[in-house]
Amino acid sequence: MNYLKDSKAIGIFTGLSTLLLLLPILVSAQQNNSNHMQHDSTHDNHHKSHSGHNLHDKQQTHHNMVLNHNGMMMHSNANQLPKGCEKIAKDYNFTIYAGSQYATEFPNKVFGYSDYELNVEPCSRLAITFINKDKVRHQWMVHGLPRYLYGQGMFHLEATGSKEIAGVFIVPSDHKTYLIHCDMAQHMEKGMKAQLVVGKGSGNLWAIPGVSADFNRGNYLPDKIWIAGLVVFIFSGMLAYKLYK
Amino acid sequence: MFQYRMTTTTIFIVCICVLLLAFPLQWYPRTLRLLLAEVVGATSYQPVPPSKISTSKNLKELDIEQACPDDITGARAQQEITGVVISASKTCIADNPYAVAAFVKGTNNIPHNVLMKSGLTPDAVEKGRDLDGDGDPDEIHIRLEVAELNGGSPELDEATTQHEIAPGIKPSFWVFTPKMFGMATENFESLKARPMLRLPSPAIRVEQGDTVKITLENSHYMPHTIHFHGVDHSFVDEKNEGNDGVPITSEKPVMPGMARTYDIKPRQAGTMFYHCHVQAQVHVMMGLQGLFIIEENRANNWVQTLNVGAGQVRASSVAVREEFDQEYDLHYMDIDKELNSRVKRSNDPRVITQSMHRDYDITDATSDYFTLNGRSFPYTIQESLVVVDPDEKIKLRIANGGSEGIALHTHGHKATMTHTDGVAVKPEAQITRDVFWIASAQRLDLTLETINDGLHSYGAGVWLFHDHQGRAITTDGISPGGHISAIVYNDYMNNNGWPKTQGVNWSQFFTEDYYQRKIPIWESYAPSGIFSDVHNDPVLLIRLLIIISTLGVMLGLIIRLLLRR
Repeated sequence: MNYLKDSKAIGIFTGLSTLLLLLPILVSAQQNNSNHMQHDSTHDNHHKSHSGHNLHDKQQTHHNMVLNHNGMMMHSNANQLPKGCEKIAKDYNFTIYAGSQYATEFPNKVFGYSDYELNVEPCSRLAITFINKDKVRHQWMVHGLPRYLYGQGMFHLEATGSKEIAGVFIVPSDHKTYLIHCDMAQHMEKGMKAQLVVGKGSGNLWAIPGVSADFNRGNYLPDKIWIAGLVVFIFSGMLAYKLYK
Repeated sequence: MFQYRMTTTTIFIVCICVLLLAFPLQWYPRTLRLLLAEVVGATSYQPVPPSKISTSKNLKELDIEQACPDDITGARAQQEITGVVISASKTCIADNPYAVAAFVKGTNNIPHNVLMKSGLTPDAVEKGRDLDGDGDPDEIHIRLEVAELNGGSPELDEATTQHEIAPGIKPSFWVFTPKMFGMATENFESLKARPMLRLPSPAIRVEQGDTVKITLENSHYMPHTIHFHGVDHSFVDEKNEGNDGVPITSEKPVMPGMARTYDIKPRQAGTMFYHCHVQAQVHVMMGLQGLFIIEENRANNWVQTLNVGAGQVRASSVAVREEFDQEYDLHYMDIDKELNSRVKRSNDPRVITQSMHRDYDITDATSDYFTLNGRSFPYTIQESLVVVDPDEKIKLRIANGGSEGIALHTHGHKATMTHTDGVAVKPEAQITRDVFWIASAQRLDLTLETINDGLHSYGAGVWLFHDHQGRAITTDGISPGGHISAIVYNDYMNNNGWPKTQGVNWSQFFTEDYYQRKIPIWESYAPSGIFSDVHNDPVLLIRLLIIISTLGVMLGLIIRLLLRR
């Protein structure tokens, strides 16, 4: 009878502790909805062969685009309204700075933006001035825009080192969160990732500095954690043995 | 008590009987078996397990990549772009001819549409004044960035900015790259790096006596420098700032997001080298290394400043064209997968730098991958063939960027070594042979003559060339792999740039499974299945399980007996 009571206590204890452990995961899952997965899954469609080799450089030639010593601007759109927009709801002017100095507040990031989240009304017009404080190229690209207005669904600003570049685009009418990033190798991964929230948005994207968690968060545990783990494990086992003897 | 002991003894006896019966005959001592055989003869026939037929038996079931992708853009053809004659590329995958033209004329001297098609920024390679008045520019400003290939990500399980060296093989690399506008990948839907973002770092070409500025725009998240190995340069520049690229003697490294310009004015021509000198044991092995060629000064000598991915030089210098029909840059590397997998394990630069520069110990390293111009077999065949006609004279500029020497062997040919480390070998000392030893960081200029005289060449064919040390013809121990490539005569080339080989079907080499050791190597052409994998022996397996469980029972009884006492 006594034994039964004990097992009940253990059951309750285990249940509670499991819940406690899972709580942060559940909470963060609530915050970040499936939006990022849509973005990720598009990455999976990469081709098996090298057949695209020469295609890419050619593709980049026929778009509405400016390329000069300041950098590049692609798919600027100041007038054409997206479907579902009757007029420009609001005009915004944003000045975005980019560079390694904007990453210093995030210990695991190297490159950063001055702003990681922009909130705008649906159908609004955004005039972006992108100022690069580094000596290397950086980009500010918005993805997932309607393809009938923006080639590859993209609005793209690229400023060469110490230069600035500006462009305008109009966001669609639906509530959606868009990815903003620098597509140079590892720049997004090491901090240059932001989001554009139109209206209520559609949930946070992953791994935006100061906004959302890294999906693959590091463990940051002591080197020989397994020794400590083993000691605690044996100790708790001995304790249990003593208690129930 | 007595009763108990009786049962234990009985169980033990039964166990031993079971053990003796279950013990496989082939495991009994040889002498005992022979003794027994003298009485009853050999044991009766026991069928061995049948062959396990895998998917490679019928090649169609494999997930096979296209060996020779179609040339959609017409990159392979001989063409003239903005006055630059670009020779034909005989291989399947060719360099972007617009980029070649841009490198020859300078990104500041070409029409906008050519620049756009080149993928380069307007300041990638700037060419200025003709200082000696001989009809070619002598002020050259090259801007290089640093990119990480097959890098990590805070949200994906897969490598980002992918560069495969062989099917499914994606070790991480750091490379110097030309300055290109736009995305690092083919497109937003792809994780594959754009074609010009690749291993190895580009071969640089300048003319002897040029005033060259090379700006390192460090777009990577770790510090880097450029050290010009063998290239004539002063230790400090005019401002007395470090110009040698060595952090412990010359200058602080270029930090992420920062830039530095190196000034050089090389007085001697030759095939040289450049590499990062920050934590060189790691950074050079990660791919921050390239060929640096100084061409002899000639009139109207517009050299192809960068040769992306090395390989065939499609717009050779005047001096090379005077003497040779073709020119190839061949850049060899070896890679320790233990090093080149580390950047993917974390997305935190602090953790990565500890892992790469303190935890990793190169003195325990072994090389696993071997590349020629940034790829291993079979991809070398797509872009690093030396395609020849009879009676041609071909210049091969070879650099060994690996940590180990290579013994380069050419099938069917004996080449002649004309330069070592960029310095001419006196004619009487030049050696003609078929194995050349190339130490780490060493460069050899070879002249390959396709004269069918039984010495220089044995005639037309598909002739491999590779390091003759066994490991280098494998990819992590799987052969054919490594940096195998071939000298192929035009008679043996298909129109699409694929060689006409007569041996085995290559399909299985274009699968990830092959390099993951999943495919029995000869299965596809051994009809009886004699070289297939083998099924397990179920009878032996059952016998083994019986033995183990019997031993378990016996052990349990012994422990129980001891505890009772």
